Amino acid sequence: MIYVLIGIILVLVFWVISTYNFFVSSKTRIKASIQEIGNQLKRQADLIPNLESSAKGYLKHEKGVFELLTSARKQIVGAIESGDLNKMTKASSAISDLLPKLTIAVEDNPELKADTVINKLMDELRDTSDKVMYSRRLLIDLTADYNVKRVSVPSSFVASMFKFDELKGLETAETGDHVTVSSDEMKSPKVNL
Amino acid sequence: MKNIYEVRSANKIKSTIIVVLFFLFVLISVYFISEALGIYLGYKPGGFGFLGIALIVSGISTFISYYFSDKIVLGISGARLATNKEDKLFMSVAENLCIGAGLPKPKLYVIEDTAPNAFATGRNPEHSVICITTGLLDKLTRTELEGVIAHELTHVKNLDIRLMSIVSVMVGLIALLGDWFFRISWRGRSRDSDDKSQLGAVILILGIIFAILSPIIAKLIQLAISRRREFMADAGSVEITRQPDGLISALEKISSDTEALEAANKATAHLYIVSPFKLNTLGQGRTVNKFANLFNTHPPISERIATLQKMS
Repeated sequence: MIYVLIGIILVLVFWVISTYNFFVSSKTRIKASIQEIGNQLKRQADLIPNLESSAKGYLKHEKGVFELLTSARKQIVGAIESGDLNKMTKASSAISDLLPKLTIAVEDNPELKADTVINKLMDELRDTSDKVMYSRRLLIDLTADYNVKRVSVPSSFVASMFKFDELKGLETAETGDHVTVSSDEMKSPKVNL
Repeated sequence: MKNIYEVRSANKIKSTIIVVLFFLFVLISVYFISEALGIYLGYKPGGFGFLGIALIVSGISTFISYYFSDKIVLGISGARLATNKEDKLFMSVAENLCIGAGLPKPKLYVIEDTAPNAFATGRNPEHSVICITTGLLDKLTRTELEGVIAHELTHVKNLDIRLMSIVSVMVGLIALLGDWFFRISWRGRSRDSDDKSQLGAVILILGIIFAILSPIIAKLIQLAISRRREFMADAGSVEITRQPDGLISALEKISSDTEALEAANKATAHLYIVSPFKLNTLGQGRTVNKFANLFNTHPPISERIATLQKMS
């Protein structure tokens, strides 16, 4: 009988320790994933000047695209320097916003479309914006796992015992354009071929 | 309509149930076969001699194949290391998905074969290997490739290679014990047959039944686990990429490709994203033969696509 009791207590202690360790280690991983976003943005900021100079000759007539590329770089560099997650989030979408514009410019110029330098530029831009997107994905997933575990029974007992607070993860505004659908967006798109 | 989180937890529960059932089954059948063997040779019930020997033999062989699985499989399939120059797309897609999944970057290999396919191996995320064919690189778009590689990364993340190795130790154990049972009883070297107690007789009969049936049943459960893990990897792929369409069209392309992968054989078939033996997958396009499905390492493509479509 006494052995059964000791066994149960041992299992319980083991469970508390492993749950505690889950919370602590995911907190560390969440911190690391925020650093990873910064890391990828840094890579992006370093990459853009190279892309700019290599594609300069080809995009002479597309001043608008070029300026966007430059302003995106400035925004990213500023965000990394500030180290603020909010600013980093905003900056990280700068390149992915640029991509559709670049695509249109390339589609309009048949000679650009066939050019390998431009294709390489597009590939690199997609790649770098993917990398930033996936680093944000990791942060979102990790905080979601952490927060779910924090409130669900039985791990919530450990969370409240050791006062693990809810983590915000990737901060996005809860109101604004991205959560509402305008009437224009409801219309099915017409495509003229 | 289920979202990915529900699919994930449902998959986890189903998979855990099968695995637990499998281990219970192995425990019971191994116990009876080894006990019966002992009784047959005139020992009293309760010995673990044969069980121990079978466990050692099966364990060592699988441990070797598990520990060196990456090298063995890559050797068999003649893969080469992916290079930044030739396989830029593969390298960057894998790197990006690893960032998203929070995994260390696996070693990347390429098989020169026009049949599109991919597999993952390696004993843990730190020693994982992802290998794809050049056919896959040529035929898929970037989004489709992301779906396939995320599927393989999920196998790595879920430690599927480790699970399947443990399972195959168990299957090997049962097969060995069953084999020994019949070899020894064939010789008929029962020394003191009048000494058998009633319990001994019952165990002996049970042992015969288990020796006949359990190798087959264990193999079937092993295949069921393998199919369940494929569903899990599909769901995990969507969890990383959030684009079920990519994986759906990749699966369609891979399965509709008529070329057979020369590098694959029966031993490595279960590793691939789509079974490399085209006969198996093609026939199940329209009507799913439930019985034939029992003997497959992979669920039918149509069923996998249907599951993925529910997620989008």
